[in-house]
Amino acid sequence: MASKGSAGLLNFFIFNSKYGAREGEEEKKVMFYFPEEADIDTKVKNIGLAEAIVQFTSTFSDLPCQSMHTQKSRQLYLEPEPGFWMAMTVSLPYKEKTKDGQPYVEYREDDVQDSVFAAVLDFAYRMFKLFNGTFEHILQRADGDVETLKQRLGHFYNKYLLTLKLSQCDLLDVFNGIHFLPLDKNTYLRIQCFINQLEAAFPTVKYTAFLYNDKLVWSGLEQEDMRTMYLYLTTSLFPSYNLQEHQGGSQPRRFMTGPPDLSDDKAIGKLPRVFVSTDTENEECYLLVYRAMSATICMLINVKCQLNVQLCRKLDAMLAPQMTKLASDIKEQHYQRAAPPSTTDPMFKYIYFNHMNLAQQTTVHLDLQKRAGINIPQEIMRLLGDINADLTRSNHDGETIVKTTSDFWVVGKKSDSREFYVVINQKNANLIEINEEVKRLCTSHLNSVFFLD
Amino acid sequence: MAASGEADQPREVEFEQPNISSDSDQGDFNESEAPGKSENAPLLASDSFDDLSYNDLGVNDHQTVHRGTIHAIVRQTSTSSDSRSNTPNNVDHDSLEVSAGEESLEESAESQMQNVSIADKQEAVELAAPPFSSDDEDVNSPEWKNQKKHVFILSESGKPVYSRHGNEDKLVTIMGVMQALVSFVQDSKDSLRSVVAGEHKFVFLVRDHLLLVGVTRGMDSTQQMLLQLMYVYNQVISVLTHSALGKIFKQRRNYDLRRLLTGAEKFFDNLLNLIDTEPGLLLTAVRCLPLDSQVRDVIAQSIVQNAKVKDLVFALIIAKNQLVTLVRMKKYYLHPMDLHLIINLVNASESFKEAESWTPICLPKFDASGFLQAHVSYLDEDCQVCLLLLSVDRDSFFTLSEAKDRIRARLVRYNALSAINSSLRRTSYSTQQCAISDLRHFLYKARSTAQYTSPELEAPYTKPEEQERLFGLYHYLHHRIHTSGRPLKILFHVGQYETLLGWVTQGFELYAVFGPLITKTGAIHAVNRLLRWIKREEDRLFILNSVTF
Repeated sequence: MASKGSAGLLNFFIFNSKYGAREGEEEKKVMFYFPEEADIDTKVKNIGLAEAIVQFTSTFSDLPCQSMHTQKSRQLYLEPEPGFWMAMTVSLPYKEKTKDGQPYVEYREDDVQDSVFAAVLDFAYRMFKLFNGTFEHILQRADGDVETLKQRLGHFYNKYLLTLKLSQCDLLDVFNGIHFLPLDKNTYLRIQCFINQLEAAFPTVKYTAFLYNDKLVWSGLEQEDMRTMYLYLTTSLFPSYNLQEHQGGSQPRRFMTGPPDLSDDKAIGKLPRVFVSTDTENEECYLLVYRAMSATICMLINVKCQLNVQLCRKLDAMLAPQMTKLASDIKEQHYQRAAPPSTTDPMFKYIYFNHMNLAQQTTVHLDLQKRAGINIPQEIMRLLGDINADLTRSNHDGETIVKTTSDFWVVGKKSDSREFYVVINQKNANLIEINEEVKRLCTSHLNSVFFLD
Repeated sequence: MAASGEADQPREVEFEQPNISSDSDQGDFNESEAPGKSENAPLLASDSFDDLSYNDLGVNDHQTVHRGTIHAIVRQTSTSSDSRSNTPNNVDHDSLEVSAGEESLEESAESQMQNVSIADKQEAVELAAPPFSSDDEDVNSPEWKNQKKHVFILSESGKPVYSRHGNEDKLVTIMGVMQALVSFVQDSKDSLRSVVAGEHKFVFLVRDHLLLVGVTRGMDSTQQMLLQLMYVYNQVISVLTHSALGKIFKQRRNYDLRRLLTGAEKFFDNLLNLIDTEPGLLLTAVRCLPLDSQVRDVIAQSIVQNAKVKDLVFALIIAKNQLVTLVRMKKYYLHPMDLHLIINLVNASESFKEAESWTPICLPKFDASGFLQAHVSYLDEDCQVCLLLLSVDRDSFFTLSEAKDRIRARLVRYNALSAINSSLRRTSYSTQQCAISDLRHFLYKARSTAQYTSPELEAPYTKPEEQERLFGLYHYLHHRIHTSGRPLKILFHVGQYETLLGWVTQGFELYAVFGPLITKTGAIHAVNRLLRWIKREEDRLFILNSVTF
């Protein structure tokens, strides 16, 4: 059988040329390298190549180097903080084929899109920053001891990288938006009122965010902080919690992070610390997450404040009744609303993203976290990525309508920092009909959104 | 196609074959038979862009290099008395006296260059010394850095051969870096293809003995840039032949190839300018000078009847980068990429205007291993209409010169020459002639004939910056439609300043540019009318019949 492969992580490294600038000391540049077991020669060689490429392009371009394409792989670059470069190498999908009786390997360069993997690399940094603060911040706190930074990087990335599913990455990773839960005014105000009450009663709770299932209802965090936090909650914390609940079967834990047992004064449990930049840069907070039914509240408490089980008990006393009530109300309201939308209409699928509030919607993906895959062909998904990259590059409002050789219609619109992509599988339609269809879709599904025609 | 009732032709065709093809985009467009379609095309209908694949490039050049065609012709035409060894018309450059060492090789290659024409000598001498060598002409100069497109040729060992901007001598370091990057990646059994930094794309092409690097901050995609580097590589082959190139580097890996390419810089410079302004190179198609088909027949027949010369492979007339006519030996076709090299040769050589010339040229797609001899002459006083007679016989200059006189006399007698000149004066045609409002510009390529047509550049595309922007839009359309793995049939794009429509079928490729306010319905009607107009004019705009000796 002919073998084939999909996109995978070949290596991932962080270096700073400031360290080990002298010849023979190159290995001091290495801040982090994955896979760990690679020999030092390989590490130094690969970092040397990345350095050379970055240096070479700067002869021509004032903008930083983004990617290197080779026959078999793709390397992405990011300089998130001055002097610190991150590089990620992705293997290209390949297929063994035969031509004139000779076997050869076909590497699919166009199947790996720069914009998608640049976003993956970017979020790898943001996620580190969320839990550790910036590289510079770590160095400052450790009086410039680079070993501390290396330890932190190793501790974080050796686990984080294993969770990446590169072959499933697509346009949604580029947007990395937030799914909001639409609610009626009344319920929304009740939630806000509840949060005000909470913050007034517990001044140590500095920031809050309220979610229902995987959708965000309210957040007091700065947008970029919330974006990274949302990604962490929905792709890491919630799934692992749900899994435990499934297996545990015992009394449901209210605190997803923090004390596992409120009657035990000594056990504060696992309590992650996060670094947010909502009020000040690199503000370190405890992340306390509480759940009642499907409603979740995230409470950020500055590490300088006292956080103990007693406080958690008090919080629980207030949260339990109110959260449960809110959760059941939302459920009811949502149940009534959930009936009409798109699931009944298989003719078209869409993705929507708003750059202003990071709101995103998709009917292309079977579930919000992309675990179950997509319901359009992969190459069409990539085409959406192409159109997005074109519209991003031109940096103006625009519209693109295409028909593929496989007779799919794809429409991409960008208007007033909103983007909207529709895939229509209707072979015999023509451009004008498709245009009408998309107009209808805009009014029925995104009625409050204005698109330039 | 009959001259009468042409206007109704497309409808008739459509009526007779209601289900033309399943991939017709009915409902959008009245897709009839592609205008400009021909079963008997003079050019090879091969799309070098679609064929472009690294898998072919990487492995081994010899598989993709075309060789032996010239031998075949020589054998075929000299069957009678002459044995191969003493025929003067043997263009076998394998016979270069390699064994005698580098000096003689260089001499013979240099003599090739000097053959270009006597008048060229002066230029060659001037070019041999660097025209200027100021210190600001290197990587540190902002002017150099800000160039829109750089192209570098270097040898496998990293020796500079050519740089589009600046002086290669001052770019030794940066070229060394390029070579080092490529060979570093090669060491891990991989190959470097491209790098992206901001708006810049860096494209690397490794071919036999040479490394070509293109740096662009324009709209060209990496794939399109790669095609451009292929043209440049072919230009090297065209001057030296693939066999000679191989032999030189086999003898001395470190050879400074500039010694053999003295005087050839102008071909590279000119080729790169053509690439940036002439859509035909992007489309791998050729533009024909609009002419009545009767006139074109007269011209072709004048050549056929007056150039019955043994070993003459191709005879063609070129005017202002457009093809007027092409007559070929039976069985042999010209590839559009080769024709672009011929056009470049004519375009770049001022000296042809001074006297009829005799120059060797290698056409890589035809036969990369040897030279054809080209008799080049202008037929008119203004030096606009250029006749090229390409032969495998190295000693036929005087025979071909006589043939040229006869051809010219006949073209004058039948007023064909004045017809060509008046077509040139009419400056092609305007979009207004197609009578379609809101249509600003278009490119139409007939795929079966590898020919394309497009109107004059008019307002708002009169300034060079605007023309460059328009060309960028075509690059975008072409790139997005031809992305490998997800090709498109139709692309409609509303941008800031214009609306674009690209439409590709089996028969043709159409790229049209409209004003920004046109509606989708308007654009579709316009395109349908445009296709009907091209169909009506196809005899004038395209060469639909191939003429052979």
